[in-house]
Amino acid sequence: MRESGALKLLTDTWRGRFGVAVILVAVFVSIFGTLIAPYEPEASSLDVLQPPSLDHWLGTTESGADVFSQLLVGTRVSVLVGFAAAIISAVLGSMVGIASGYFGGWTDRILDALENWFLVIPTLPLMIVLARLLDPSLIVLIAVIGFTSWAGTGRIVRAQVLTLRERSFVERARALGAGDGYIIRTHILPNTLPLIFASTVLIIAVAILSEAALAFLGLGDPTRISWGTMLQNAFDSGAPSAGAWWYVIPPGLCITLLVLAVSLLGFLYEEYINPRLRRES
Amino acid sequence: MSARWLTGKVAAAILTLVFVVIFNFFLFRVMGDPTTQLARLPQSTPDEIEKLKADYGLDKPLLGQFADNVGDTVRGDLGISQKSRQPVVDEILDALPWTLLLVGTGTLIATLLGSWMGVIAATRRGQKTDDAMLGFSMFTYASPEYWIGIILILVFAVWIPILPSGLQVTPGVEFSSWLAEAADVAEHLILPATAMTLMLLGQYFLIMRSSMVDVLTEDFITVKRATGQRWDRVVRKHAVPNALLPLVTLSAIQFGAVVGGAITIETIFSWPGLGELTFQAINDKDFPVLQGTFLIFSFGVILANLLADILYFYLDPRVQTK
Amino acid sequence: MSLLEVKDLTVTHRGKPIVDGVDFELNRGESLALAGESGCGKTTTALALMKMLPEGLKQKGGIVLRPPGVEDPINVHRRTETGMQVVRWRHISLVFQGAMNALDPVQHIDDQIGEVIRLHERKVTGKQVKARIDDLLVTVGLTAKLGKRYPHQLSGGQRQRVMIALALACRPSLVIADEPTTALDVVMQAQVLQLLESLREELDLSLILISHDLGVLAETCDRIAVMYAGRIVEIGSVETVFSNPQHPYTKRLLDSLPVIGGRRGLAPPIPGGPPDPGDPPGGCAFHPRCPYSTDRCLEDPPPVEVGPDHLAACHFSPWSSWPEVEPQKVRVDA
Repeated sequence: MRESGALKLLTDTWRGRFGVAVILVAVFVSIFGTLIAPYEPEASSLDVLQPPSLDHWLGTTESGADVFSQLLVGTRVSVLVGFAAAIISAVLGSMVGIASGYFGGWTDRILDALENWFLVIPTLPLMIVLARLLDPSLIVLIAVIGFTSWAGTGRIVRAQVLTLRERSFVERARALGAGDGYIIRTHILPNTLPLIFASTVLIIAVAILSEAALAFLGLGDPTRISWGTMLQNAFDSGAPSAGAWWYVIPPGLCITLLVLAVSLLGFLYEEYINPRLRRES
Repeated sequence: MSARWLTGKVAAAILTLVFVVIFNFFLFRVMGDPTTQLARLPQSTPDEIEKLKADYGLDKPLLGQFADNVGDTVRGDLGISQKSRQPVVDEILDALPWTLLLVGTGTLIATLLGSWMGVIAATRRGQKTDDAMLGFSMFTYASPEYWIGIILILVFAVWIPILPSGLQVTPGVEFSSWLAEAADVAEHLILPATAMTLMLLGQYFLIMRSSMVDVLTEDFITVKRATGQRWDRVVRKHAVPNALLPLVTLSAIQFGAVVGGAITIETIFSWPGLGELTFQAINDKDFPVLQGTFLIFSFGVILANLLADILYFYLDPRVQTK
Repeated sequence: MSLLEVKDLTVTHRGKPIVDGVDFELNRGESLALAGESGCGKTTTALALMKMLPEGLKQKGGIVLRPPGVEDPINVHRRTETGMQVVRWRHISLVFQGAMNALDPVQHIDDQIGEVIRLHERKVTGKQVKARIDDLLVTVGLTAKLGKRYPHQLSGGQRQRVMIALALACRPSLVIADEPTTALDVVMQAQVLQLLESLREELDLSLILISHDLGVLAETCDRIAVMYAGRIVEIGSVETVFSNPQHPYTKRLLDSLPVIGGRRGLAPPIPGGPPDPGDPPGGCAFHPRCPYSTDRCLEDPPPVEVGPDHLAACHFSPWSSWPEVEPQKVRVDA
């Protein structure tokens, strides 16, 4: 029943269909993008900053390369970094948050200090420095983003667990002699999952956006094209002032659509876990 | 407010700051080898490097260097910029007001607008207004803030050239009064502040909305309505104060994201704040400046967290008696 | 003189009845028990009396209130939301189910009470409000200084007393108490019920007490209405109904009550579960679980007067005696 309910949410709402469709397309393109791309993505030509035409559907870059081909090839980095980093980050964050909020005392003090610590360090500059020090590569980007972005989840989860701990049903369960593991599994976790998921959504978003930001600032994997690198090249070459919208809009729109798709699925999941959030339709 | 609680919070904040200093030092001096960084300076010969190392105290043992670093930091000496040869503190103090102006404007508008939209949407769940606000917030939440900045430039500075695309004042203009200058700055502020607001708005809205939706299902809301209060009064006087609590925590957490946004948005708009300073320092591999901006960013976030804690303490009586 | 008259009250959700044709009257100073399993429509009935149903639920049927000192009767069913705002709490107040989350967590107790006094009595002075709050807190057995506290600083029993004080704040003539004691321990339950009972006599209140706990209701109320699947299946004075139940459902409910020092063993619980709210079986909704049901029970049973002020909605009422039934004869095909 529950499983079919979840599937129904995916197929029967426009948000679910949109999310699934975009992610499927993104995954497909990230695998086969290099094969579909009509041009060699970095091949330069004399057709510099040309608007969209039949030859170049999304126009050309400042070096005359095909924007559409770069867009297809660039998908891979976003998808890979986004999801891999988010998984690292979500697991770290929810483990620390639950342990910290539930057990309290010294566990909480130490974990909370750690959390605070990671919250305090401005994430993007830290990522910039680490990425530079460690020589940017895909693995480094994944590790750096995953490792620097879990604290927000930890904090949100902790806050929720703290209020849950005071709720009557947890007090009741504890009074009845339920163990910590049992309470966490049956009372804390189910009531925290929506938030964990909301945060995971946020992290996937953060991870995709972070990769793009790093690349935009010139710190992406130098051997690969990504949407962020495209934006960097576009901005550096003065494409915005030249009015070259075809070069500026597509990479950002792709980032937005992918983050949006993931987020929509996340919110759908949240509603599914917590029917109270379900919107009247 | 209990003095002990406040002392504890301040002590914790100071402790966090101490760890920032330690982390800062080790990150830059240990992970990044300063010798190679110095060697990248164009004019460096081995002799010059030795001299530079002596100048920067890099020939001392690590712990000695660390002690020096902490002592200097406490005295407000953050070193000399490798690029401009100016004291880092001066560069930071020059840039700080611009960042505060940008970040302050953006955060203020985003908080007010976001929470207002959240309340409206939560009380009109599933209606057109809610859908429209959700859609808009989701979109801005999902977009890179510098991309939004670029689009703002494209639209309002290139296609419809009504606003400046960068800098904080029109260069080379003698202003007749400070008011004229303020007006010029305000004009330059519009696009970057809009980008910053749009970056934060979605988050604030979504959190406020879901917080409101939660609170509105609580029993006490039903009771308040049963006492004969008008629905809008129940929302305003009882639901909103309760729903604002998570938002206070969020605004502190968001400060880290704000710093990130400051870097990219200031870069896009050539806004002469800490973000641009950081970006320049990264490009120039100017580690004393990076270390300084890092410290000031961290200090800002710690302070914001402390303020949020104090605010939360005033707002939520359940914390006060624990 | 009846204070409250409810005629053919029906609440529907997407066309399906949650409460189906409820009729009753309540006299001034009288207390009425609403009994039944969860999901039978008790709370919905209570909320309908205040016109406070959640979105999606529609109510119809007459609700007339005649508070003492008010000349024209208040036609609750005709009032708009704005019109109801002056009736709520001033004339009908509510002691909410398990007062754990029924008070605003970020508002002082005295502010919560003072707020409703000021809301309904514009001319009252700050001093008077303060005095009234202190009075109310003392009346419900608390001390005035508790007013300066927040809800989370009080025990469950104290919170329920605050809730009662809040309900009395505007001197209403009718208080609806929805499971006022469920979250409390037995000693506290008894105290709160005693308090409600003594306040009722003292203040000439009418009380509608909603509970699934027949024991609680028997001690506190004058009359009882037993609800099943959105309908009142039996209504009468507590003594009559308890000593001479005239509906099989009431009978089974009473049989499953433990009797202290009683010789008879507990009857087995009623087989099957209560029907889905809004989707009861046709005819007498209890027939699938009723050991005495026949084909006749597929038709709607009209309420029959089985004694003075005693109605039961069963085709076979009045029952002169209850035939023994073997457990295996009980149909559980619902």
